[in-house]
Amino acid sequence: MMRALIVDDEIYSREELEAMLQETGEFIVSGKCANALEAIQAIKKEKPDVLFLDVQMPVINGFELLSMIDEKLMPNVVFVTAYDEYALKAFEENTLDYLLKPVEKGRLAKTVQKLKRMLNGGEKPVFAGPDIKKIPCILSSKIKLINTSDVEYVRSNESGVYVICQGGDFFTELTLKVLETRTNLVRCHKQFLVNVDHVDEIILHENMLAEIKTKSGNSVPVSRRYLKILREKLNF
Amino acid sequence: MELLFHLIQAMSVFLVVAYLYCKSPWFKPLTTDSLRTRDKIYLYFFFSTVSIMGTYLGIPVHDAIANARAIGPVLAGMIGGPILGTAVGFTGGLHRYFLGGFTAFSCGLSTTLEGTIGGLVHLYLFKKNKTDLLFAPRVAFITTFFAEIVQMIIILLISRPYADALDLVKVIAIPMILSSSTGTALFMSISRDQKNMYERVAAISSAKAFKIAERTLNFLGRGINQETAVDLAKIIREETGVGAVAITDKEKVMAFIGYGSDHHTPGSPIVSPLTMTAINENKVIFADGEKERYLCPVSNACPLNSVLVVPLHIDNDVIGTIKLYETRNKRFLNMNKTLGEGITNLLSNQLLLSRYESQKNLLIQTELKLLHAQINPHFLFNSLNTIISITRNNAARARELLTHLSNFFRKNLKRGSDISTLEEELDQVTSYLQIEKARFDDRLAIQIDIDPSLLKLRVPTFTLQPLIENAIKHGISGMLEQGITKVTAYRKNGLAFIEIEDNAGTFHEKETNDGLGIRIVDRRIKSLFGNDFGTTVTCVPNEMTRVTIKIPLEAHTA
Repeated sequence: MMRALIVDDEIYSREELEAMLQETGEFIVSGKCANALEAIQAIKKEKPDVLFLDVQMPVINGFELLSMIDEKLMPNVVFVTAYDEYALKAFEENTLDYLLKPVEKGRLAKTVQKLKRMLNGGEKPVFAGPDIKKIPCILSSKIKLINTSDVEYVRSNESGVYVICQGGDFFTELTLKVLETRTNLVRCHKQFLVNVDHVDEIILHENMLAEIKTKSGNSVPVSRRYLKILREKLNF
Repeated sequence: MELLFHLIQAMSVFLVVAYLYCKSPWFKPLTTDSLRTRDKIYLYFFFSTVSIMGTYLGIPVHDAIANARAIGPVLAGMIGGPILGTAVGFTGGLHRYFLGGFTAFSCGLSTTLEGTIGGLVHLYLFKKNKTDLLFAPRVAFITTFFAEIVQMIIILLISRPYADALDLVKVIAIPMILSSSTGTALFMSISRDQKNMYERVAAISSAKAFKIAERTLNFLGRGINQETAVDLAKIIREETGVGAVAITDKEKVMAFIGYGSDHHTPGSPIVSPLTMTAINENKVIFADGEKERYLCPVSNACPLNSVLVVPLHIDNDVIGTIKLYETRNKRFLNMNKTLGEGITNLLSNQLLLSRYESQKNLLIQTELKLLHAQINPHFLFNSLNTIISITRNNAARARELLTHLSNFFRKNLKRGSDISTLEEELDQVTSYLQIEKARFDDRLAIQIDIDPSLLKLRVPTFTLQPLIENAIKHGISGMLEQGITKVTAYRKNGLAFIEIEDNAGTFHEKETNDGLGIRIVDRRIKSLFGNDFGTTVTCVPNEMTRVTIKIPLEAHTA
């Protein structure tokens, strides 16, 4: 049995697909999400084998969602769309497969065969998603999108990952690893990423440690391990 | 007395010359308002000749010549101005001077002066803006009368011995003054009549051309087809009075009206080599019936003898010809030749215009279709997907939605006309919204508030649909929170307003997508009601987008 996660903003689409997946007898539907943020949370929690992903969704579309998923957790992806024009793009993204809505039973059976082959082969799915231009953050019940250029730095601790910018600290579901690979933020510490455009000065301490002062006066620690890399990047 | 008769005799010769001159092509420049240098040179030679002839036709009196030399210079001056008048007078005078006699110098001088006097009259009338008097016989009479008196005075002042001069003047003064003045006046009268005739002919031709233009303008908007070709040929024949008129396309005769219609049948292929040449080389072909004759390729008994073939063209492509025929016993009038060419050019322009119009309409139609094609497949698949899902648990609801779907598509197909009532628009939009409401479930709320007195308001078909689709497709479907779509119609300041508002406020971000639909709606409203009406967009980012449509209450189409 494959554990599947359904991501679609339309309730009837989710229900219909769930029903069809169950009819095949091959899937356990471990969750249904109405948008990308719910999906990121659910992927972390459920670690599904396969993601049935709608392309057209509010705020963050299916392609953008892919680039926000941590590589270690990346499931196999099947795009589900009513628009034929997205099919080609889906293949460019190395998606396993795509289904057109309304989904045909026979077509779904073929997808099942492909999925089984992939999962038995034990190959790790890799998707080269687009760069993240806006980081989705959760603000009480609303979603705030922060331009990566506005971000000063990002920190993570036991309670999660926070994006620090002019307006304050914002919690995000994205991991440091994803943000490091998909944005121009630079790692300066095991728990910190920094936007070099916001760096005001770098103060060197003993023991090969350092501290970054941002333009707005915040300080970000630099660890020994990353100081060297940072030096190469900034040429100092 | 005898002298007067002699002079009148001489004058008659001038009138013959004047008459011949008026019939010659050199007269033509006089029918226009301004003379070119070349025309003035012609006039110089002509009037100088007239002046010299005046001397030769004169009668020797007392070692001098009683003559009509003055006519040439005075006329030249009056028609062509002081320079031409003086030049002609000088030439005539110089000639007289070399003939000798005791008045040789005085006559030479006075003739030059007479030309100048004519020229000064020309200048005066020109300044006073009374150019119509330039050709008035009485002005010519008075001018010559005065000029001849001046001549007599000069003879008396300069010629010596004075006694002889006085004797001479006593004899010649009255006959010369009278005959020259009368001669000039008559000459002018002949010129004026001829000039008037030219103008009248021109006026008649223009009037005819205008009349044909007026009569054809209406139905040519539809382009040329078998039916309009017949009407057109009838009109041209009625107005020009030629023997027959034919209209062809590039292959066959479309219409034939007049003599010979028994064997020149519409629908038959073009066989006349003249027409083929006109089409192939895109040029006017004229067989005048004398040097070149029209030989009917169909029947020997054909009465037609001369033909004018003018190609009809759109841009540079020949699309057919218009042919004017005349029978054997009638000359092909030059006026009809000019008219035929003029009309054909006019028609070509009209056809170009009508093609442009129809292409413009076609463009709008295409845009409209494009708009449908853009939306419907997506909408259709999404709707079907929703309905399929609902079928599992709620067959009644699914049936209801399918009815809305079929209503929506039927309306889409059925509404071929350009104008709908607001009620019809709302009906279609309601079906659409019902389906979208089902699809987005509680993520979409709809508020409709229409002033019932506006239900019969006339609007271009598909005014609401694209705007509401925009609001949902680009606005609300991108929202995580609940989307609200409002459709409002109300009266204000004697106008009708329709508003479509959403609470997404994303218009600015997707200008290119939203823009097309709104632009088309705007363009269609403007073309229907005028530039004072149309759509305006207000957008507060992330709060709301509102499209306002302004339409006149009394939908009198512009």
